[in-house]
Amino acid sequence: MRTGHFKERTGQLVALSDSKVVWSFVALLFALALVAPFVLGNYQVTLLVSTLIAIVGAVGLNMLTGTTGLISLGQAGFLAVGAYTNAILMMDFGWPFWLSLPAAGVVAALISILVGVPSLRLKGLYLAITTLAFAFIINHVILYAEWLTHGPNGIFVSGAKLFGFDIQKGKPLYYTALGVAAIVVFAALNIQRSRIGRAWMAIRDHDIAARVMGVDLVRYKLLAFMVSSFIVGIAGALISLQIRFVNIDVFALILSIEALAIVILGGLGSIAGAILGAIFLSLLPEAIRLFFETFSDTNSSFYTTYVYEIRGITYGVVIIAFLRLKPEGLIGLWRDIRKYWSNWPLAY
Amino acid sequence: MKKTLFALAAALLASTAAYAQDPGVSDTEIKIGDVNIMTGPASFIGKAVSVGSKIAAAEINEAGGVNGRKITVVTEDDGYVPARSFQALTKLIEVDGIFALNGTSGTANVLAMMPLIEENNLPTVVTTAPNELVYNPVRPSVFTVGASYSDAFYGQLKYIHENMKVENPVYGLIRQDDDFGASIEHGYDRAIKEFGVKEGPRIRFKKGTANYAAEMAQMKQAGVNVLANGGIIAGAANILGEARKLDMDLQIASVWSEDMPPSVNLSAPAGYDYLVADYVALDGPAIDAFMEKARKYASEDEVAAINRYTYLTYVGLHALAEGMKRCGKELTRACTIEQLRGLKDFDTQGVSAPISFDNEKQLSGTALKIYQLNSKDKTFKTLQDFTQY
Repeated sequence: MRTGHFKERTGQLVALSDSKVVWSFVALLFALALVAPFVLGNYQVTLLVSTLIAIVGAVGLNMLTGTTGLISLGQAGFLAVGAYTNAILMMDFGWPFWLSLPAAGVVAALISILVGVPSLRLKGLYLAITTLAFAFIINHVILYAEWLTHGPNGIFVSGAKLFGFDIQKGKPLYYTALGVAAIVVFAALNIQRSRIGRAWMAIRDHDIAARVMGVDLVRYKLLAFMVSSFIVGIAGALISLQIRFVNIDVFALILSIEALAIVILGGLGSIAGAILGAIFLSLLPEAIRLFFETFSDTNSSFYTTYVYEIRGITYGVVIIAFLRLKPEGLIGLWRDIRKYWSNWPLAY
Repeated sequence: MKKTLFALAAALLASTAAYAQDPGVSDTEIKIGDVNIMTGPASFIGKAVSVGSKIAAAEINEAGGVNGRKITVVTEDDGYVPARSFQALTKLIEVDGIFALNGTSGTANVLAMMPLIEENNLPTVVTTAPNELVYNPVRPSVFTVGASYSDAFYGQLKYIHENMKVENPVYGLIRQDDDFGASIEHGYDRAIKEFGVKEGPRIRFKKGTANYAAEMAQMKQAGVNVLANGGIIAGAANILGEARKLDMDLQIASVWSEDMPPSVNLSAPAGYDYLVADYVALDGPAIDAFMEKARKYASEDEVAAINRYTYLTYVGLHALAEGMKRCGKELTRACTIEQLRGLKDFDTQGVSAPISFDNEKQLSGTALKIYQLNSKDKTFKTLQDFTQY
């Protein structure tokens, strides 16, 4: 029986994980993810693509809110910036997708400086409202800068190719989203363990103490904004790729709330939590739909009048119940399960 | 030998494809999809749409179906979120295997679904978002029923200009800052230029704005007495409420959403007998007959949810069914599209003007009726019958 986990070499300390079980588990998950589109139907693959995009966005937001402790309600704005940058560069300037994708992240990161600078002295609810105001501004800019954004008409996104494959649907889109998500998660895990990540955590836990210890608050807060927005911008570009149409209505402010809900439900500050939260909230409506389709008559008048609202209420109730019973989020639940099996049969 | 085998296999595959039915059609059933706003503040639209499809399907099925096949309508909620419309249509195509689409939610929503519609050559009748972006450029499988907001506002302003004898008219426009608002402004522009009337402010506001005090004060100061009210539902009611507070004497042109009972209940207390232009009938024997059918095929709750969007989807599904019927037993998407393209003067029993898709835009129902609200008893009277603008 295992009595503890001791790290005896430097290599173990700097490794992402020194556990063979963890690596085997990750390899298994990745292998499953690779074969999934061959086993599942097109609709399930579409759902998985949406989930992968949600994972990218959630990991980005987690950098800012979970790791650095800066609450942001501006994610819808950064998603829109990323999506529009990708759409404009591809459709109006003829850029290839492999160039417009990183450009979407870069533009979102640069714009985040505009939000980051005035927000440096703010935290908590004040920062949340400032970032929300940013999302409003982006909304207005997109609608009024018709010469660039096509205003309210939106932009159809087509012709994205990678290695000769049309990557806007089916398996190629899935593997593109999977590849981007894998890179983002890997990068985020590494950033979090670096000096930068530790500085962000210090700011989150106590910013004054962090400054006393030599953490440059201006630099690291701005960096958090930029890195987070870069990743969220990439998620926005992927959305434009999947839906093949961008319009301001696609990036409603509710997206910011949903993004925050994903991070909180998953477990603040944890990348695995962000992933679990994204999977949970992306697939929960589908699970509820399946439940109702299985247990009610779809031809009944109940189905045409009430069932959709009841599904919406159920969605809310599940989230509330979950946070009430497991405030530390899905990652907390995962840790409990892991602890139970590690200590079995002496688990308590 | 190998070559012969390949040729045989290819011939077999080709012949299978030629006789294969498109998805959503069996010997006894045709599945029709409906993506709609079933949740959220605008769910009264989606519920009304859904009831319209249900009544039309029940009526068609009772009369023997489409060449013996019964219509089944499968509804998916998009909550008015374009990303979810895309997801919902993917589900309808991939999981439910629909043959055609009749409910398509709002403008941004149908645009988000457009790549899927085109890719699958899905016969689609758009009845609730007749925005120019939907039919221009024309997509081969998409047929739109409805007039433009531009024509609706032009028609109402024309009626006011010619019949209501407003003294020293000053026109003003208040509209949303999106594609829908831009379409209204287009009609307003046309009216202003054609009538050569004095123009007051043109004000844009953001969707969801609740307070219009400053905007209406600006209108009052400019002496506006003919208002193109581009607000919808609560927004339109708030605009009228502010106008009443300022004691403005106004003739008002409104969006067709303002003839729905929830909108009327919100707006009527301001006491303005505003105008509405709509491409469906709101009163008369056609609607009485429709309500009789509704009571036969729908539950009490469903009947209570009926509004203009119900009539539209009802008309849409009947037009779609006519296209499918003309294909006979060999029903395919390509044939349905071809038949819909040839549809001319299809009788909707007075619920809307007759449907004809035999034009470049595959657009019908562009004729508008002009109504006026009686704010005291919350009823509408017809001022002008269906007219093309």
